[in-house]
Amino acid sequence: MAAFADLDLRAGSDLKALRGLVENAAHLGYSVVAINHVVEFKEKKQEIEKPVAVSELFTTLPIVQRATSSRVRLYDIVAVFPKTEKLFHVACTHLDVDLVCVTVTEKLPFYFKRPPINVAIDRGVGFELVYSPAIKDSTMRRYTISNALNLMQVCKGKNVIISSAAERPLEIRGPYDVANLGLLFGLSESDAKAAVSTNCRAVLLHGETRKTAFGIISTVKKPRTSEVDDDSLPACKKAKCES
Amino acid sequence: MVRFKHRYLLCEVVSDDPRCRLSLEDRVLGGLVRDTIARVHGTFGAAACSIGFAVRYLNAYTGIVLLRCRKEFYRLVWSALPFITYLENRGHHYPCFLNTLHVGGTIRTCQKFLIQYNRRQLLILLQNCTDEGEREAIQKSVTRSCLLEESSAGEELSDSGGEEAAEAME
Repeated sequence: MAAFADLDLRAGSDLKALRGLVENAAHLGYSVVAINHVVEFKEKKQEIEKPVAVSELFTTLPIVQRATSSRVRLYDIVAVFPKTEKLFHVACTHLDVDLVCVTVTEKLPFYFKRPPINVAIDRGVGFELVYSPAIKDSTMRRYTISNALNLMQVCKGKNVIISSAAERPLEIRGPYDVANLGLLFGLSESDAKAAVSTNCRAVLLHGETRKTAFGIISTVKKPRTSEVDDDSLPACKKAKCES
Repeated sequence: MVRFKHRYLLCEVVSDDPRCRLSLEDRVLGGLVRDTIARVHGTFGAAACSIGFAVRYLNAYTGIVLLRCRKEFYRLVWSALPFITYLENRGHHYPCFLNTLHVGGTIRTCQKFLIQYNRRQLLILLQNCTDEGEREAIQKSVTRSCLLEESSAGEELSDSGGEEAAEAME
């Protein structure tokens, strides 16, 4: 049974509105939701207390952010929103992010090139398309569809997720409707359904592996100290096997 | 066999204003969907989707709408539904959206789905409601729907459960 996920709910400063947003998403059938903190360069917000157990957080940065920053570890998914071609290239190939957001609100200032996108797909980085400007405004709709089709021609529909940048509860749409919007964006029908369910799950797992080392070892906080020692032992053994 | 094949889209009108559902009318909703298709898909979309288009069922209390369209063009209609943002009736403007629950080939499959969906909604309402009188009313409708399920398969009306649920919600 596919679990639907909406990986982009814009966080305002109001916790109650955020709670209403998450409840609406749950009512529509989404099992996973990510709250988006949009941050400028070098300015990070701390984690807010989670109102519901299923929510996770991710950040979207307008410019490149250093992967060695300690505050990145607080978030579950990290996303980048590149505005120039160089940044896009760097984000796909070198940066330690999980998602690359594609601009929808204006004509794309650069063309997508096939090599960095193929590298990104191999690394497991996903491309994110946002649909809430398309619902609000008709010129945005045109840009959204043209940018989306452009992306599809290069990446052939792999590793794409669709999410709403919803600020109010009325801007979210149900998962089957969003999968249908994927058809408008040029995805095939199975790709569109995957864009809402399996690709989102892949991005979440990619975020998990960013926290752990190579996805094998994970540190879990346990109340007893003996358990922590046990965690470290199998890690050493596994490292030896790998090398 | 020569027969026109249709697709029936079962949708729910979701809005934060409770008056929005009560002012639903089939002609108003049909006009709204046609306008939206014209906005999104242009002249071709409006013309192609209007051949077999009709609003088959409308429940103002629960906000359930059943739309019919031809099988060849149901994707066009379905992809235009997320772009509906408001409902305008007799000068009142309500922001709302349509949430698609089920797509079926016949009215009967949609009805079966709707019965199961309403049953699930009743159980959710039972968990959430706080008032004792409401709780009893919902429990009665839940047991009644279970009994009806045992006795007859397709004869059950989904309206009765929906009305009681709507009264309980208000």
